[in-house]
Amino acid sequence: MKMEEMSLSGLDNSKLEAIAQEIYADLVEDSCLGFCFEVHRAVKCGYFFLDDTDPDSMKDFEIVDQPGLDIFGQVFNQWKSKECVCPNCSRSIAASRFAPHLEKCLGMGRNSSRIANRRIANSNNMNKSESDQEDNDDINDNDWSYGSEKKAKKRKSDKLWYLPFQNPNSPRRSKSLKHKNGELSNSDPFKYNNSTGISYETLGPEELRSLLTTQCGVISEHTKKMCTRSLRCPQHTDEQRRTVRIYFLGPSAVFPEVESSLDNDSFDMTDSQALISRLQWDGSSDLSPSDSGSSKTSENQGWGLGTNSSESRKTKKKKSHLSLVGTASGLGSNKKKKPKPPAPPTPSIYDDIN
Amino acid sequence: MAFKSVTSKKKKEVHILRAAINQKLIETGERERLKELLRAKLIECGWKDQLKAHCKEVIKEKGLEHVTVDDLVAEITPKGRALVPDSVKKELLQRIRTFLAQHASL
Repeated sequence: MKMEEMSLSGLDNSKLEAIAQEIYADLVEDSCLGFCFEVHRAVKCGYFFLDDTDPDSMKDFEIVDQPGLDIFGQVFNQWKSKECVCPNCSRSIAASRFAPHLEKCLGMGRNSSRIANRRIANSNNMNKSESDQEDNDDINDNDWSYGSEKKAKKRKSDKLWYLPFQNPNSPRRSKSLKHKNGELSNSDPFKYNNSTGISYETLGPEELRSLLTTQCGVISEHTKKMCTRSLRCPQHTDEQRRTVRIYFLGPSAVFPEVESSLDNDSFDMTDSQALISRLQWDGSSDLSPSDSGSSKTSENQGWGLGTNSSESRKTKKKKSHLSLVGTASGLGSNKKKKPKPPAPPTPSIYDDIN
Repeated sequence: MAFKSVTSKKKKEVHILRAAINQKLIETGERERLKELLRAKLIECGWKDQLKAHCKEVIKEKGLEHVTVDDLVAEITPKGRALVPDSVKKELLQRIRTFLAQHASL
């Protein structure tokens, strides 16, 4: 060992260089040999020529590099949404809506299965060509309106209380409506109607009633279906809604409290306090303001449905009486008004008044 | 005669020296490192692809069934040696020289 080191240090540069070259040649040879083994193995195992392709197929599967196309040369269309066919009701649903739809259609909960069955029944009864097509277009609408129906029933939300009192033309109203619909206001009324129809022939009286308390329900001339939008559906006027309700439920059903209102009228009150106390009494008896937010609103809603915009404005006034703002003469103007307005539980009503 | 014996003696000396250095290369692991470096560089510069293309020609010539390792080595090694780029060769030689210098000074 010692001798090696001695001799190594004693070597001149040319010899050192020669040794370096030798080592290098060795290394390259090693690499070549390794490569040869690799290739030989590949040949014998049959995978050496795997990456070989003929020019034709190379051309066929060339990567496309052009603006507007993906690498396969297909036009990428971001507006084209995939559709899935629901295994239950066999409608085709946009992929992004499929999961929510399934949840409803397969019946996670009471309402949904009933709705799904109704849908199936409808599609069987109705002339399919029309309804199917349009359903595809406007699934959002349906989902939304059924959802609102469910919500209204389940929670009796306070909102419903002041719906009829709002001026239908107020920007606030239209804004909130848009928001709820989750879509731009439609430009095509026919489509609007068609897409959200329910055929009323298949509904029982009970269903009709519940539908009418939560939905617009106006029957479309074109599809003969009922509009499933909200009570404030901008497609139809309050007048139309009232007509439909009278047609199905009769006038008394629409305005169940007309009688009692008339009583009010005949009740001669010069004393506003007396009226107020009476109103309060009425309110607590069947439209209890304190109840308004909680339960037993279906009746009230039915009442709310019947009101048209002018009436609702007046009822607002009445409300203001309840809150001791009004006068006896103001009350007189309310006399024709059918139902008594439920006490306004929400501040928004006051906003409207102001 | 005497001259010849001198050269043969010298050759023997160099041979021994060479073996010693090789030993050292392996012991220190430097040889492995150099090999790895060379492999990476060769792949990087496309040497492997060139050689592969050459291989394909050779194999097609001989027929897939009749290729032997010996044939390949005989055909490929000269070409492989020639195809190593100068930059790679220089870098490798530089590292070898550094290694020799370090161990000569010990």
